[in-house]
Amino acid sequence: MGHDTHGTNRFGRRSFLRALLGGSGAALLAACGQAASPAAPTAAPAEPAAPPTVESVSGPVTLTWSNRYSTATTQEILPLMVGEFEKQYPNIKVDYENPGVGDAYVEGLLAKIAGGNPPDVATLYEPPAEFAARGSLLAIDDYMASAATAKPDAFYPSVLKSTQWQGKTYGLPSSAGAGAIYTNTAMLGTAGVSADRDAFPKTWDDLKALSAQFVTVTDGEVQQAGFVPFVGNSWLYPAWSAMNGGQIYDSAANAYRIDSDQNVEWIEYWVKWLDDQYGGNLEQLTIAGNWAGTYPDSAFHLGRAAMATEGSWASTDAEIPFDWEVMRFPVGPSGSKSFTAFWPNWWVIPQGAKQPEAAFQFIEFVATRGWEIWYQYIMDTPSWRGFPPSVLTTKLVNQTSPERAANVNTFFANYLEDAVEMWTSPVETFAQDTLTAAIDEVLNKRKSAKDALAEAQATCQAKLDETLKG
Amino acid sequence: MASITPADQPPVARRAPRLSKQLRRDLQAYLFLAPWLFSLLAFTAYPMIASFYFSLTKYSILNPPRWIGVDNFVTMFTNDPLYWKAVANTAYYTFVSVPLSIVVALGLALLLNQRARGIGIYRTIYYLPSLMPVVASTLLWLVLLDPRLGLVNIGLQAIGLPKLGWLSSADWSKPGIILMSLWTGTGSAMLIFLAGLKDVPSSLLEAAMIDGANGWQRLRHVTIPLLTPTIFFNLIMSIIASFQVFGPAYVAGDGGARQAGPLNSLLMYMLLIYRNAFRFFEMGYASALALVMFIVLVALTLAVVRSSDSWVHYEVGRR
Repeated sequence: MGHDTHGTNRFGRRSFLRALLGGSGAALLAACGQAASPAAPTAAPAEPAAPPTVESVSGPVTLTWSNRYSTATTQEILPLMVGEFEKQYPNIKVDYENPGVGDAYVEGLLAKIAGGNPPDVATLYEPPAEFAARGSLLAIDDYMASAATAKPDAFYPSVLKSTQWQGKTYGLPSSAGAGAIYTNTAMLGTAGVSADRDAFPKTWDDLKALSAQFVTVTDGEVQQAGFVPFVGNSWLYPAWSAMNGGQIYDSAANAYRIDSDQNVEWIEYWVKWLDDQYGGNLEQLTIAGNWAGTYPDSAFHLGRAAMATEGSWASTDAEIPFDWEVMRFPVGPSGSKSFTAFWPNWWVIPQGAKQPEAAFQFIEFVATRGWEIWYQYIMDTPSWRGFPPSVLTTKLVNQTSPERAANVNTFFANYLEDAVEMWTSPVETFAQDTLTAAIDEVLNKRKSAKDALAEAQATCQAKLDETLKG
Repeated sequence: MASITPADQPPVARRAPRLSKQLRRDLQAYLFLAPWLFSLLAFTAYPMIASFYFSLTKYSILNPPRWIGVDNFVTMFTNDPLYWKAVANTAYYTFVSVPLSIVVALGLALLLNQRARGIGIYRTIYYLPSLMPVVASTLLWLVLLDPRLGLVNIGLQAIGLPKLGWLSSADWSKPGIILMSLWTGTGSAMLIFLAGLKDVPSSLLEAAMIDGANGWQRLRHVTIPLLTPTIFFNLIMSIIASFQVFGPAYVAGDGGARQAGPLNSLLMYMLLIYRNAFRFFEMGYASALALVMFIVLVALTLAVVRSSDSWVHYEVGRR
């Protein structure tokens, strides 16, 4: 008798694939169920308050924290902060993991939330409103109402607003580095402007006039600039708009205000500044120097620009190699008051967190007393108003003096009282990208300010409406 | 002589095999194939099918998908100015980089096909950049293309040409990343061309030489026609790779944050997909974008395959 033939008794490809598909489907379903350190800052908070009792956390608890800090300095800070927390809350242990750096962090966090396996606590650089509007964060208002330190009125109002969506609070801001104009004291001195903050220009016109005194051009190329407001640091746009009496997003009305007259005027003012002082060609200006910010390689850092914008953190991070000062932004033609913008570190509790009470205690600690440890290393201005003014950034103290560090500290803390409301839109990132692209088109003379902002307004409002619809 | 008949044999209890030989062989084969099949199903087939489904939904990753039919496609073609920007940028990149990379890779292969002392070292040197991680090579090129201090602009100035903005310029950013991709991307194609050149029969080249053909004529009428199957392969691979360019645009365009290069000039199609999926929480829309790219790539590949009848020559018979 011959051997058995094909097809009679065979475990066929289809049968095999069917079995394999079933197995893999089951498996899938189951799976879904920088800067140098300062000289020895002290680890413990300067004036430790008595820790609140951990009434709601009865037994030992281990928190999982998705941490996005990865620089060398933060690697020094985090064990100190977590260690201090665990000392004050002996029932709670914090396991922190770094799911990725930069964009990879967001990808990792999204995967965890989508997979039903969220961490108890997550750090965000992206506004909590974007996550909250999609139902993925826990509202913490009840916890805040009975909190020992993280009461709603304990934070700068605009900064706390950055964690809110539709009237509820979805996280705590541990810091809010405010923006300011950094000035090169010696360069300003050559123009007869003292380092006294009161002597600094109070209007855009005065600032522009001061800037003009420093501009030098050789063979059509800008060698030195005064102030180039329109390059880099686009996170300051809400402040620029507010300085001119405008607004970019109105959270109360769920409406964008990008193409308001004040905003058109602001962008046209920048175009005129570009034309009057820098030859009108943004690309050529960009080739001539890096006019953005105060970090090494920037024109400001190299002594080629007298002034530049940056956040408070640059006071220590940028290691500016000369005497500098920080100034308030002046007021635009249609504005009435100086405003600043800010960029927080946000701490949130994802929906589905297994230990929400303990998680709140951790974020409360980090956003209040615990930030003292961080602040000694990096000048990220605390968002907690009860932060002891005696706590200074050691690096700045070492570089200058305790008095100078206290002065800068007070400047940024006070300026946060005049912070513009921002980071409150559920489509914040999309809108920022759209607005930045629109302004770039205007500065590159591709579109008029009116047209570009009108298009950005329509695009952002449509995206917002679509998102609100769910 | 007594013969032993079957009846004389002691009764042996013969157990029928539970699995036939062929079945056992099939099972063994599938067992060895299983890891690959599992990964194919779990990490390629399932995501593709899921992506197709998500393309018809509003899906933020953070919420369950909601069926919206073809709305994502309507938005894409009628209401997303960045879509056409990304299509134009990617088309520019493809139409410039693909022919250029093939010509450069072929030229290098011809040069490195010589019998010369230490030719292996030269081949290795030219192949090495293709082994470099995209991020590392892009960062290197960011330094080289720096408008102020970069070596490329210093070189241009040395020969009396003006400095270019490169990645700071909306006009020069794409040529900048094409330059990068030429440096990193031609190594593999060059190696394939080298293999193809080794297959060109020396008898044909000798016959052409005897007939009086010069070097150019031998290249034009013997070598290149015989290399057309290799060109065909490299062309298809280059087209697919060029549509999927991401790394250089992502790194040079500051991760697509705020803008992908000046005036979004580095907003490539893959970067648009990425931004929508992970920056704007629009995974449904990103899936629709990916599906359209897949369809366009399949169509383009089929068009190239169809056109190959008229320009690809096989040494022995037809394919």
